Amino acid sequence: MILELTITLVKILFIIGITVGFFAPVLTWVERKQSAIMQDRVGANRADIMGFTALGLFHAIADAIKMFTKEDFVPQGANRFLHTLSPIIAVIPAILTFAVVPFGGQYELWGTKVNLVISDLDVGLLFVFAIASIATYGYVISGWASNNNWSLLGSMRTASQMISYEVTMGLTIIGVLMVYGSMKLTEIGAAQEDFLSWGFFMQPLGFFMFLAASIAENKRIPFDAPEAESELVAGYFTEYSGLKFGMFFMAEFIEMVTIGAIVTILFFGAWHIPFLSAATILSWLDFLGANGANLVLMLIHIAVFFAKVIFFIWFQMTIRWTLPRFRYDQIMKLGWKILLPLSLANILVTGLVILAVH
Amino acid sequence: MAYFVDRPNKMTWWERSYLPEIIRGMFITSRHFFVNLFGFVPFFLGQKKERPIFTVYYPEEMVPIPVAYRGRPVLAINEHNRPNCVACGLCEAACPAYCIDIIPGENTGKQNEVERWPKEFTIDYAVCIFCGNCEEACPEEAIFMSDDYEIPMLDRKEMKFNLEQLSVPIEKLKDRVEFTRKMYGKWNY
Repeated sequence: MILELTITLVKILFIIGITVGFFAPVLTWVERKQSAIMQDRVGANRADIMGFTALGLFHAIADAIKMFTKEDFVPQGANRFLHTLSPIIAVIPAILTFAVVPFGGQYELWGTKVNLVISDLDVGLLFVFAIASIATYGYVISGWASNNNWSLLGSMRTASQMISYEVTMGLTIIGVLMVYGSMKLTEIGAAQEDFLSWGFFMQPLGFFMFLAASIAENKRIPFDAPEAESELVAGYFTEYSGLKFGMFFMAEFIEMVTIGAIVTILFFGAWHIPFLSAATILSWLDFLGANGANLVLMLIHIAVFFAKVIFFIWFQMTIRWTLPRFRYDQIMKLGWKILLPLSLANILVTGLVILAVH
Repeated sequence: MAYFVDRPNKMTWWERSYLPEIIRGMFITSRHFFVNLFGFVPFFLGQKKERPIFTVYYPEEMVPIPVAYRGRPVLAINEHNRPNCVACGLCEAACPAYCIDIIPGENTGKQNEVERWPKEFTIDYAVCIFCGNCEEACPEEAIFMSDDYEIPMLDRKEMKFNLEQLSVPIEKLKDRVEFTRKMYGKWNY
């Protein structure tokens, strides 16, 4: 009992540490530096501590200090309570999604079964979608509570965009569910041990549609109409400053990690290495003994999983700094007229293929 | 509602799907990313002096300035450790912004080997417009536009430079002297 509790606590601490403590601050630096390198610039390198710049990594610390010490401004006529509540509603679901995301398989260490997921829900995938939809409330409330027309327009766009693309996302996932026959993220991950059974080869169209829809969910360029700088000042967080703005900012970056993790689990073989099964690695590590080999295998799997997540974060950033913003009607047209029929067709074709195979 | 423009060029179905252009754009940006990323490695290892990105890290590095550049005006000090200036006041007269202020010293006997010299020479850089008229008017090759453009201060009073602050040995201004001779020499007009 105590042992299980400790293991769960360690997993929770690990997830919170790696999302809030590592990815969120580092990604602000990565975004600046990567955009700079892609555009033949140098990028952030001015913040230094005693003459060390560490390639500009200290900008993340400077940002954090700035956000903590800035004035927390609530505009006149705004609803104070909801204005404070909405960033919390926006950021909590982003972190909460990780409760069901497995970052490794199951391992037996010293007689204890370690399952590298905080809560192995039977409806894991549904849980992800349910929690992700709650974030919409945060964005809608923030626009309404700000007493600002730009914010309200931004939040209305957010609501329509997120609802439209959630439909596509949900329908895309059905194809994956049909292929793997499970909603447990751990089982979907475990089913992709063979390279050719990766979701990418099973559902190639589904992968691209899911990626497009999830970037639209995250409201990043090219789907950033809700916060379009050139049209709406900053969209729903126009009236936010200090740590409240920081929470919206953090939510965006953590959602990027979440998208990377979900895409990795559903389509890119989760923690598996192509053409290298866990049994092969275990036989190589035989000299360490059963427990040692399992421990090393676990660490390798965690590293592989996060390497894939980092690849998808890089991919999202590349898209963000390559494509221009869609017009609002183009976003709606893409969502309802192209992605929705395509995802329905994807389900039909998947069903037919499964019927033919069996 | 959205306003649609009639475009003369008809695109094929494949082009209208927007995918080929996305792939092309992603390819170009990723190529820049990887070329620049790995181009930096030999520089940081110290094998190469030049970076692949030509951004200049300004306060630490400066771009070489062409000799025709008009920085802040300075007074040339000759090899006898005296200013070339004879306090004739031509630059003072030529200055369109009235930023030069000269108090001349005159030889009454044998205090000094030169006939006239500036007792005080003040240029107010807060007023100066960097036109170079003083340099052009000077008959004695005494005042020159240097290549120094970093003169921001927190206090305007400090921007009034006196004789010692203005003095620069003439060896440092050799290129500019050459240039002014060519530029303002009498055969040039």
